[in-house]
Amino acid sequence: MTASPLAAQDATIGYGRVAISEGLNVDIPEGEFTVILGPNACGKSTLLKALARMLKPSAGRVLLDGKDIHSQPTRAVARRLGLLPQSPIAPDGITVADLVARGRYPHQGILRQWSPEDERVVAEVMAATDITELAARGVDELSGGQRQRVWIAMVLAQQTPLLLLDEPTTYLDITHQIEVLDLCAKLHREGRTLVAVLHDLNQAARYATHLIAMRDGAVVAEGAPADIVTAETVREVFDLPCRIIADPESGTPLVIPSARARDLV
Amino acid sequence: MTAATAPHAEGAGRATALRLGGLSVRVRHRTLLAVLGSLAALAAVALWSAATGSTALGLERVWDALTGQGTKGDEFILWELRLPRLATGIAVGACMGLSGALFQNLTRNPLGSPDILGLTQGATSGALVAIILTASSLQLTTVFAAAGALATGLLIWALTRGGDPSGYRLVLVGIGVAAILAGVNGYLLTRTSIVDAFRAVYWLTGDLSGRDWDQAGAVAIVLAAGIAVVAVLSRSLDALRLGEATATGLGVRVGASRMIALVTASILTAGAVAVAGPLAFVALAAPHIAARLTGSTRSLLCSGAIGALIVTAADMIAVAGIGERQLPTGVVTGVLGGVYLIWLLIAQRKKGVM
Repeated sequence: MTASPLAAQDATIGYGRVAISEGLNVDIPEGEFTVILGPNACGKSTLLKALARMLKPSAGRVLLDGKDIHSQPTRAVARRLGLLPQSPIAPDGITVADLVARGRYPHQGILRQWSPEDERVVAEVMAATDITELAARGVDELSGGQRQRVWIAMVLAQQTPLLLLDEPTTYLDITHQIEVLDLCAKLHREGRTLVAVLHDLNQAARYATHLIAMRDGAVVAEGAPADIVTAETVREVFDLPCRIIADPESGTPLVIPSARARDLV
Repeated sequence: MTAATAPHAEGAGRATALRLGGLSVRVRHRTLLAVLGSLAALAAVALWSAATGSTALGLERVWDALTGQGTKGDEFILWELRLPRLATGIAVGACMGLSGALFQNLTRNPLGSPDILGLTQGATSGALVAIILTASSLQLTTVFAAAGALATGLLIWALTRGGDPSGYRLVLVGIGVAAILAGVNGYLLTRTSIVDAFRAVYWLTGDLSGRDWDQAGAVAIVLAAGIAVVAVLSRSLDALRLGEATATGLGVRVGASRMIALVTASILTAGAVAVAGPLAFVALAAPHIAARLTGSTRSLLCSGAIGALIVTAADMIAVAGIGERQLPTGVVTGVLGGVYLIWLLIAQRKKGVM
């Protein structure tokens, strides 16, 4: 057995009676920034939802710290594992500070609604995500990138060593995508274990320290980006003929799709 | 006890945390103000109702009768006629306001109220069965109406359980159930004598006249239980407003919270409708008024206070009546609520909100 903090073990996961993945085995390595990759409908978001206990495997288990995640109290899980879903809903008119404060939920109770510790943590995560000056603004007035930073701050306020992010860069323009990924990289450097679903191969290769490539509900390849991002794997996973060069900025693999690719295959 | 104003407190989000040892409660200033304001208005209306009516007592005689220094006649009017009716109205209105707020929260829909979701129709079915098929007393009508509303709430929960968690499903299932029950109610009415049909229509309008302490006590117990559950549940409901996925991530037991909220809202509706009939529009209008006063759709308790205020004020107008004739309370709540809602929508359009 591995000492992985979060793992899927022979898990069959899906929606209703439709299984997306069967007998899936995935270990999330501790202290790494793991990115799950793959074409649309490959089961990457489904896997993330299962790891975040939003979906219960119909067979097999998801293990958090070696124990079945569904056998643990959900509030206790929420102090170990934070989740940023794909489209969270901000209630009308809620302020940034109020939304971030919601992240303290798993640490609070009816008679312990707002401790000095809550106050301290909220101020700290707002500073860390660079949104302190937005505190009194309405979330609906913010730009997409600012809003995503606010949501990440809310999840950070849970103070969990594990962070799961479902497509955190979707719907953002390139500048804000990089801003969010830089923030993720910083959170990883500070010692957290991150798991994110991303669409952009090159961003994944640059920011991730561990990649999981999926296709048709199964894991095709996993490992360090330098080992995984090869022309063969990209063709196998995405059906995309390409060349790999070194990213002139970071030295990480850069995928260049072949010219007239579709006509030639 | 220490009070600390949060460092980020500004504008609509201004809040104070009251702390005592390891315990802390967070209070939003504007919500507190809105609740206290509506309670003060409620007290004023209640006092005015007690002092006026077919026998105008005036505030001095009301005070004497309250403190046991009044005449026998005054004390009878106050303690046996007016106070039970007032207490029933307050409790019924609070139940409706609270249940309306819960339903709007659950469905994420400004129209999500027991009237739209079929609970009122369910209560009506129960009452009609009692009135028509068993030619019964008011007590039996009350019990049947409560059972009808509760059964409808449970049916909606069973039909929406485990499916798409969005509020739309709940609303659509509720509308379907309401349509079926409306058909059943129409059938029941056509199967009855003209005398029973008149009694049924009178019940359907909703009224508070002739309510006694037993009925006030029964609704008050339902209300107290409802408030207790809401106090425990409000933080989970708050988190659920961020979406099911985020709430799950925060450690909310989503399915259980929704189920408890739905059952609680159904019980509150059942208790209120059983005693007063389906007072139109209170459950729909109260949460909207509360949201405007508090600047937040979160305040369930404020919605309860507003519901009590609406029913008490409407009943005061109903007792004053048109000319010599008193009106059923439900007529006034319907007209008041409808006018208010239309005014609200026009005002919001002018401000460019909607």
